Amino acid sequence: MEPVNTLCQDGESEGGVLAHLEKLEVQMSRSHKKSEELPRVQRDENVLRTKIHELRHLRDKLRAEVKRRQARVKACSANVETNQTAEISEQQVLEKQKENVKAILQAYRFTGLSGKLTSRGVCVCISTAFEGNLLDSFFVDLVMEKPPWIHHHSIPVFIPLEKIAAAYLQSDLQRFLFSLCEYVNAYSGRKYQADRLQSDFEALLTVPLQRNSLCNLLSFTYKVDGRDQSFSFSARLLYEDLTATLPTDVTVTYQGMEASTHWEEHRASHEILFRTKPLHQVFASFSKEVEKLDLSLVS
Amino acid sequence: MAFEAGGSMDAEAREVRALEAEIAALQRRCQELPAPGEKPSGVRYVVPVHPSGSPIRKSCQKLPQSDSEGWESSKDLRSHLGHLKSELSFLSTLTGFNIRNYSKKIEAVTNTEVTEEGTTKVLQRHRLSGNCNMVTFQLEFQVLEIQTKEKLSSAITDLNIIMEPTEYSELSEFACRAEERRDLLMFFQSLHFFVEWYEYRKHTFKHFKEKYPDTVHLPEGACSHCMEIHSTSRPGFELVVVWRIQINEEGKVSPKLDLLTKVPQRALVLDKNRVIETAPSSFQTLLGVLGIEAALDSLIKLLCVGNN
Repeated sequence: MEPVNTLCQDGESEGGVLAHLEKLEVQMSRSHKKSEELPRVQRDENVLRTKIHELRHLRDKLRAEVKRRQARVKACSANVETNQTAEISEQQVLEKQKENVKAILQAYRFTGLSGKLTSRGVCVCISTAFEGNLLDSFFVDLVMEKPPWIHHHSIPVFIPLEKIAAAYLQSDLQRFLFSLCEYVNAYSGRKYQADRLQSDFEALLTVPLQRNSLCNLLSFTYKVDGRDQSFSFSARLLYEDLTATLPTDVTVTYQGMEASTHWEEHRASHEILFRTKPLHQVFASFSKEVEKLDLSLVS
Repeated sequence: MAFEAGGSMDAEAREVRALEAEIAALQRRCQELPAPGEKPSGVRYVVPVHPSGSPIRKSCQKLPQSDSEGWESSKDLRSHLGHLKSELSFLSTLTGFNIRNYSKKIEAVTNTEVTEEGTTKVLQRHRLSGNCNMVTFQLEFQVLEIQTKEKLSSAITDLNIIMEPTEYSELSEFACRAEERRDLLMFFQSLHFFVEWYEYRKHTFKHFKEKYPDTVHLPEGACSHCMEIHSTSRPGFELVVVWRIQINEEGKVSPKLDLLTKVPQRALVLDKNRVIETAPSSFQTLLGVLGIEAALDSLIKLLCVGNN
């Protein structure tokens, strides 16, 4: 019987396997003749068992050989295929990478600062939001020379851009951008609150909302229904800190003539409310039971 | 007996026939595949074999068309990709945010819901991860876009934030607040300022440690949140400056420095002018007047005087 190793090593492996089978057949016929002396049934049984044993052995060898050859073919053809399709799959890879990078660049707008490189520098886009509501975007087109300067921009005129630029643009670009972000974002947030007040709670405003373009000075008169009566209040909100979306100074005054024991409590609590909660949310809470609200806040 | 023998003989005979058939099939297979000495001819498809031994005549891998219409050539792609990568690198340096992974999915469920008056709603799911200096973040959020006749409005309807490292309690509190308000922008902006202050604190403490190596001790190493000032001439006298970085309700980041004194009992008794007692509040005044660096410097010099 030929040893297993030769199946792999020489080119006559196929011949080796077939020759092996031939040898097996010869062996079987020999053993068949030999076992003719034994009782027929036993002889046949022995023969079969031996044959099965041999056949299994051969089958396992063939299985292994087929596996080996298949693996080789796969490896070789993979190489050839790789060479042929190398260029195309490289394109696919590059294309995928490109889409990936593009997507990440887009994702930067969620951080508030994104941008595109230009021939002279970068065009930075400042995205604003207020409590999850995505609002306007503004851009600043920078020329990256030493020192950098602003080519053009869409920042509203009432934002102190020149002041911020004078302070940081030449020395610390990152600081300039984040500082500008603070101002622009806060303005956007204040504007959003004022807009929401006007659109959602027009019914409650007896004197319409008055505001400046920076939305840091608001005044309005509103009525609130109490337990027995309704109160009319005038509010003046001043946002001295331009990087904040809550007012620094709140004055609520009572507008009625009638003497009332309750109005002072309400007035005081409203002042606190306006100072601590976004404007439209304060009005939203007015729609709910006024009493519960006041008592809990005044204490 | 004969019956049994016949039965077992049939089983064995069946097995022999089965084995012979399998061997024959394997031999055919062997013949198809090139022997180890041969080279496979050209490109061959890897043909899968059915368990019975007969090959499945079906190519398992289709080569893509090699026409390049609509595809940029590799060279163009490479340069385009290079440009995009440098843009990304620039943005990353400029903002301090390094976004490494991002994916967006349009929700199939409430995809484009066309309601009355022609308003459409689109729900997007975003996944974003990256780092800002030593803080790594993983975000998952949903954006709901509502398009009415008048305008398009977008709002974040769900926000999940995972941040590492977790030992900064101020940061984890802040992340919770941002999640509650779905204020993704505030998260990023405040994170930037927090990291800035963190770096400044680290830099300042390191500076003082280098300048006064015997007097200044940083119990937690470079990233310590407190600085101990020891008097080498008077052991037992210690000043501890605790420097916390706070993030308030609105997301504003600010430093909070406090002075703690560690002084032997006897010294306290001798302190008629109650200097030690008033030290913490005096320190606050000092901070207001001189600023952080100068205030710390003068404080250290105070204890160093005894050292000379």
